[in-house]
Amino acid sequence: MAFLPDESRSLPPPPLLNKGSVWLGFVGWLSALADNAFNQRPVFRAGVHRQVLLASLGFFIGYQLVKRAEYVHAKVDRELFEYIRHHPVDFQSPTG
Amino acid sequence: MAAGLRAVRRWALAAAAPPRLAFTRSAFVAKKESNAQPNWLGVGLAFGTSAALWAFLLKEHDGDVMEYERRRQAKGHHKCTECS
Repeated sequence: MAFLPDESRSLPPPPLLNKGSVWLGFVGWLSALADNAFNQRPVFRAGVHRQVLLASLGFFIGYQLVKRAEYVHAKVDRELFEYIRHHPVDFQSPTG
Repeated sequence: MAAGLRAVRRWALAAAAPPRLAFTRSAFVAKKESNAQPNWLGVGLAFGTSAALWAFLLKEHDGDVMEYERRRQAKGHHKCTECS
């Protein structure tokens, strides 16, 4: 089971800055700051390379997760509309 | 009864003895390494990995956009007419 099947590329790709990537990038940065705090280093000024790496890693993972989520939602929507199309009797608009 | 209480007290005192160092390694214990000299190898690896991650991500995103546009053109702009 692929993480991102080929048909997911038929979907419009999410923008680079999206909820998942920004939030996970922020979480990665926060964890670098927490690592500074736990090791009694200056929280913001120490380990900038660590902050950059963890923020980038979080951003990257967030982007991949959002792509997968959009694919799963689109797949479910497609199956839903196919079902509606095949069972019109169950989906008549109410008369009167 | 008094002897029993004395035994309990002895046991309680023994249990209150400070535990061995191996079982109480605190997160705040001082380490030997100093943060004064930069670990240049680590810094280089971290920045290099970040740059590689960003390069890969930007390339992947541009590739996805182009692939999506290509498939849209090939599909002929929504030829299915039955779905909404």
